[in-house]
Amino acid sequence: MKSGLQKGALYIAIIGMEACWLYALMALLNEETAGARLSVPGVLVIYPLAFIFNLMLQRLQWPKACIWAVSWLAWAVGMLLIVKVQLFAGLPLLDSSWLLSVPRSVVAVIYAFKPELLVLLGTGVMWWLGRRLTYLKVDFGALISEFQFGLLILLIAFFAASQLGAELGSSVPIVLAFFALALSGTSVAHALEGKSWLSGLYQGHWSGLLLVSISLVLLVGLLISAVVTPGLLQLAVAALKWLLGLILKLMALIASLFPEPEPVELPPAMPMPEMEPSEGFKLWTLPEPVRNGLRIGLYVLWIGLIVIALWRVSSDVFGWLRRKLAGMAGAEFESLPGAFRADLLGWFKRIYHKLLGLRLPIRSGARGRSVLPEIASVRQIYRQLLRWSSAAGWPRHVSQTPYEYLHALGQLVPEVQADLDLITNQYVRARYGALLLTEDELHQLSQSWRNVRQNKLKKGSRYKWTKQSGK
Amino acid sequence: MDKAVREVSREIKEAADRVTGNVGKVIVGKKETVELVLVALLCEGHVLIEDVPGIGKTMLAKAVARSLGCGFKRIQCTPDLLPSDVTGIHYFNQKTSDFEFRPGPIMANIVLVDEINRATPRTQSCLLECMQEQQVTVDLETVSLPRPFMLIATQNPVELEGTFPLPEAQLDRFLLRVGLGYPSEDEEGEILSRFQEGNPLDSLDSVVEAEELLEIQKLCRQVYVEPSIRSYAVAIGRATRSHKDIELGASPRASLGLHLASQALAAIRGRNYVIPDDVKYLAVPALAHRLIAKTEAHLRGRSAAEIVREIVSTVSVPVEEQT
Repeated sequence: MKSGLQKGALYIAIIGMEACWLYALMALLNEETAGARLSVPGVLVIYPLAFIFNLMLQRLQWPKACIWAVSWLAWAVGMLLIVKVQLFAGLPLLDSSWLLSVPRSVVAVIYAFKPELLVLLGTGVMWWLGRRLTYLKVDFGALISEFQFGLLILLIAFFAASQLGAELGSSVPIVLAFFALALSGTSVAHALEGKSWLSGLYQGHWSGLLLVSISLVLLVGLLISAVVTPGLLQLAVAALKWLLGLILKLMALIASLFPEPEPVELPPAMPMPEMEPSEGFKLWTLPEPVRNGLRIGLYVLWIGLIVIALWRVSSDVFGWLRRKLAGMAGAEFESLPGAFRADLLGWFKRIYHKLLGLRLPIRSGARGRSVLPEIASVRQIYRQLLRWSSAAGWPRHVSQTPYEYLHALGQLVPEVQADLDLITNQYVRARYGALLLTEDELHQLSQSWRNVRQNKLKKGSRYKWTKQSGK
Repeated sequence: MDKAVREVSREIKEAADRVTGNVGKVIVGKKETVELVLVALLCEGHVLIEDVPGIGKTMLAKAVARSLGCGFKRIQCTPDLLPSDVTGIHYFNQKTSDFEFRPGPIMANIVLVDEINRATPRTQSCLLECMQEQQVTVDLETVSLPRPFMLIATQNPVELEGTFPLPEAQLDRFLLRVGLGYPSEDEEGEILSRFQEGNPLDSLDSVVEAEELLEIQKLCRQVYVEPSIRSYAVAIGRATRSHKDIELGASPRASLGLHLASQALAAIRGRNYVIPDDVKYLAVPALAHRLIAKTEAHLRGRSAAEIVREIVSTVSVPVEEQT
């Protein structure tokens, strides 16, 4: 299978897995908060749209802020369209009440969770996920992280649905699709790393293994759905109740063996003096907006604590599974220690970064260290150079140093060799030597970058590059 | 850049150029090998020169030693060489009626241990303390070795009869393992021409004194290593421990060695900061000799150096992300 096709298949696997848990979560929230007024597939359609739209947007050579703004503007339009079509289909388009319903739902969040708010949040998350996929490095590690995270969300969704008595309906197909996509994705990810049948010698072996795995999962899923009936569950609950009753009887028997304590006569309670609330007490009553703010803070705190608890539990469960798998003879064990934690921290870090425009100093080495503006601009120019060369079909290999990359790039575009030399030299000085550039040097650097950008791509250079890099 | 720091890097480069030029009077070509020996010298490490006979291993070691105005001793390893022949002994002085310490050849600044694998494991082991702690313990007395101290060992990888392979603990104490390789046709012609009238080694003068060398060694530690470069060196070291073809990966001492050697290389090349190319360049000489490849890898003809090169080609270099 060609590399491009494999990448495409991997994207489909990840998109499919995310769509599975998004569907389950949205169906649950739709049932509980919107009274099943929304069509979940209709909302979910924004997710692939976000991916395609942002992918096209990334190909444009626009400034980053501009791309960001256009992307989120498109989300706002899409979200409003969904609100209009799904919740206010009867209202005319020019009626402003459906437009105002979204901000009103945000203001009224303290009192009620309206369907408009669900659309706002749901589409926002989906848009962000779709956008994230465009710059996500899709490989085996990413797939496993998606699988772990998706599985956790699915478990939470199903558990919440069973506790709330919500009817998800299509839980079996969701789970089957999720696992089938995860298995297929794993196989393709291996193929992408050159370890699979798709590009290697053991074609029959891997294809057979993949087919058997998928068939097995489907078969086990069907068997479980057929065997685990409500009757069987009731029987299990009855057995548990009987066991609990037995334990209670045993405890009562043990308690009866001890003598009853002598009853102690308590003195009569003192009558409470009637107290009038003082004038000063009223002064300390917090105003309603502050109390609302505190309530939101409390909810955030609770949600945070639950997320941390879930993370800890899932980390322990995965750690236990890893240890068990490592102990099994003949089992292949691929450890990704701290992957989930790293994902979670990375997610929080990105949110923080985007909200405040700052980097969260998570690592001790980065604590209190800031990048000087001159160095930041050099790094920005080099980043743009990498993006430009990558878009032109000459990406840098992860193990290539700036000078190795310069050597390879210089052979393809010798006419700008001097400019590339200057950019790389200044970048290396600033990046690894933390050396400041003078104004003249910065000006020269910008000029060199303009020269490089104006350079037209040559026919056949892409072929030369792929031959050279062995791709 | 701070002017004083710039002066420091210039000073180190000038001294390194002087030594390289001086050694170049004897050793034709092989500038990269000479540079690696200087790297080890500047970070107080030891070098194992491994190559076939007649390439100039001993000549290189002697030329480096002569270029430095330091005390030089040579130990020719043979199977009957004893640890006391290396470290020294306590003998009874009849004049003073007391035991006195007579130092062995290890008590020098530059020590050439020729054909190290011809010494028995017992004698090889007496070098462990000298190499790591720069001291020797004879009877109950511990004696510090003179500073600077560097051990240059040579060994022949082809002829194995009557030799004792170096144990891992010993190999791990060598900062770098370097090879010389055969000279090119022109270089070989130049060698014949230079040695026609006499050995140029005899007329070689020292170009760097011991005090200056000590000062340069201290300055080398000031070379800036960006945290991501440090992580890169660690990542390479750690990758050797999980590679499928490696039985025993690189030790933390190896990672430390790679880090220090990168600083020295950067200084020799006139920089006061380390770049990923330094780490990459030094990965094979600093790590390959410390690894034990699995038998399957040996059977497939894969050397440790080849595996290290493969590892280096997969570990991500800290550069800007393209997104």
